[in-house]
Amino acid sequence: METAKRKEKTFTILSVSGRLDAITSSELEKELSAMIAGGEKSLILDFEALDYISSAGLRCILAAAKKLREKQGTLRLACLKGVVKEVFDISGFDSVIPCFNTAGGAVEG
Amino acid sequence: MYRKTGLALRISLLVLSSITAIFSVVFLYNYIFSRQIIQTNIERNAESLTLSTIHKIDGVLGAVERAPRNLAIFLEELSYGDGELIELIKAVVQSNPDIYGATIAFEPFKYSPNARTFAPYYCKKKGGIEFTYIPYDYFGWDWYQLPKELEAPVWTEPYFDEGAGGIIMATFSVPFYRKIGSERVLTGIVTADISLSWLQEIISSVKISDTGYGFLISRNGTFITHPDPQLVMNETIFSVAETKEDQSMRELGRKMINGSSGYASFTSLLTGKKCWMRYTPLPTSGWSLAVLFPQDELMADITRLNRTVISIGLAGFFIILLVIVLIARSITRPLKGLSVAAGHIAKGDLDAEIPEVKNRDEVADLADSFRFMKASLKKYIADLKETTAAKERIESELKIAHDIQMSILPKTFPPFPDRYEFELYAMIEPAREVGGDLYDFFFLDETNLCFAIGDVSGKGVPASLFMAVTRTLIKTKATQGLEPGKLLTRVNQDLCVDNDAMMFVTLFLGILDVRTGELQYSNAGHNPPYILGHSGETRAVKEKGGAALGVMEDCEYRSHNVIMRPGETLFLYTDGVTEAADAAQNLFSDQRLVTELSLNGNKPVRDIVSSLMARVKAFSHEVEQTDDITMLVIRYRG
Repeated sequence: METAKRKEKTFTILSVSGRLDAITSSELEKELSAMIAGGEKSLILDFEALDYISSAGLRCILAAAKKLREKQGTLRLACLKGVVKEVFDISGFDSVIPCFNTAGGAVEG
Repeated sequence: MYRKTGLALRISLLVLSSITAIFSVVFLYNYIFSRQIIQTNIERNAESLTLSTIHKIDGVLGAVERAPRNLAIFLEELSYGDGELIELIKAVVQSNPDIYGATIAFEPFKYSPNARTFAPYYCKKKGGIEFTYIPYDYFGWDWYQLPKELEAPVWTEPYFDEGAGGIIMATFSVPFYRKIGSERVLTGIVTADISLSWLQEIISSVKISDTGYGFLISRNGTFITHPDPQLVMNETIFSVAETKEDQSMRELGRKMINGSSGYASFTSLLTGKKCWMRYTPLPTSGWSLAVLFPQDELMADITRLNRTVISIGLAGFFIILLVIVLIARSITRPLKGLSVAAGHIAKGDLDAEIPEVKNRDEVADLADSFRFMKASLKKYIADLKETTAAKERIESELKIAHDIQMSILPKTFPPFPDRYEFELYAMIEPAREVGGDLYDFFFLDETNLCFAIGDVSGKGVPASLFMAVTRTLIKTKATQGLEPGKLLTRVNQDLCVDNDAMMFVTLFLGILDVRTGELQYSNAGHNPPYILGHSGETRAVKEKGGAALGVMEDCEYRSHNVIMRPGETLFLYTDGVTEAADAAQNLFSDQRLVTELSLNGNKPVRDIVSSLMARVKAFSHEVEQTDDITMLVIRYRG
């Protein structure tokens, strides 16, 4: 798993690529926690290049969403595809966290 | 062949061979240089020794020559009477200590018409002077004939004078003439004899070292003097060379009688030792003087010096050897000790004693490092034991947790042997760690079978605890007679309370009326199950009830209905099946699952599970299972 950060308007877009399994999820969780603790409030996770997400990966995204909600922040997801989209679809997480087709769409809301 | 050589041996070999090389060069240089010096000294000595000897001899010979020369001049110019002549000869012999004898020998009938021979002779004998007339016919003798023929003064070869002198002598002969008319006519020969024993004395006074000596040879090579009296007058240098078959000696003899001077190596005729020889001619007589220097005696000093130098060198060699061995020992002894101790440590004996090193050197540092290593190892092993014990405890506790988790799931099949309306089979294949999958089934009343399958996020003890809580909540709420949607809404509310860890569980819950085949269900974010028909067709039970449980507290879950016809089979699973990965990270996928199900849909429920399990295992062989694999199959018979 690798991440890349960029800014667009008020949002910070974090592109996550590779696989989010039990091990890499904890890395992402640390990174997200650090960003939120650092005052980040508007976050978009770009899953354009994400190949796989496990339940541990879902849990870390859920935790981030909850933390941001407590701070009146927002978490949005963009570019869900294939297996990843399926997982969000089945688990019903797409109804809990707003998903968008493109990163640009996520910025516009 | 490989041979183990010790440090001490190698150091000794290297140092000693270097020292030997250096010493050899120094010794060789010293030897060659001192030999040259001695050689130069010998040549200088030889030169002066032979010259002084020659001067001595020639001085005597010159003095001897003067008397007959003067006498010849006197006889040529002046007249003389009988008595006068004899007195003259007597005076010559008396006044010249070096002259042994002298005569004036006349030509036939030249002194008196009555006498064919006339030669009055004086010689030294028995401490006095004796007079005689030469009794023999002297005209054919060398001392008479040579000056006559040559018409000049001449030294004869040495000879034994039988009649007159009675000793070995050499004679200097001078012809004298008288004027008869205008013609100079040979009248006689004046001679002076020298005793060769006298020469012998002079030359034997030449002493060089212990066995060095001088000798004299005449113009034809006859030994005139030699320490070996056998040779004198009996042998020539050529006859000796002949006997010895010594070509170089013959060459040398030729050079000597030709009046050359020079150096040669020569074997002593007395001792047989190697000698250097200086040879020089005597200008007066043409004889050749040779002086012999015994090599070994002259080299005795240098030989002694060399012997001393070698002895000192050898002594030094052994002292250095001893010192090196001692130093090397002092280094290697503690090293050997350390090596033995290290061997013990390597075998696990951490109480092995590290030997004390007396000197504060690198070896001592090494010993300190060893001691430190031993202590560190001891501490590390102690820590490791402790950690291992702790880990073993945790692992055994986890194992117990796992066993407890498994034990709360129903595992007796068939579970309701007296119910013929349906068949049911379930299986959970846990991953190595304690996982969070669950399944359950129980009758709510006579006709309604409640069942559930779920997957808790994450793994380990938290997941299994969350799973146990979920199962308990379902069982508790189910007894309240709620429909599936309502039931899950309640369970979700309870799970969301204080869920700071953000754990969640995807869950499918169904209630099957075993009389009618009506299935009520609610799906909380779980993989949709499949209904398998008689002839291999499959359909997904797609309707969603809401998001996974534990995510949103205020979520209302919806219930849905589906009618199962007799003979149809409901297949429920967790994502451990579809997300089993092979070595290339390819997933088993829904597609493969559907294909498998359509092939095996008519098999007994137990076989559907086991054949699918076999397929998944074959797909992900060599890859460790990372997630629990759970399946629940219900076939409705009607």
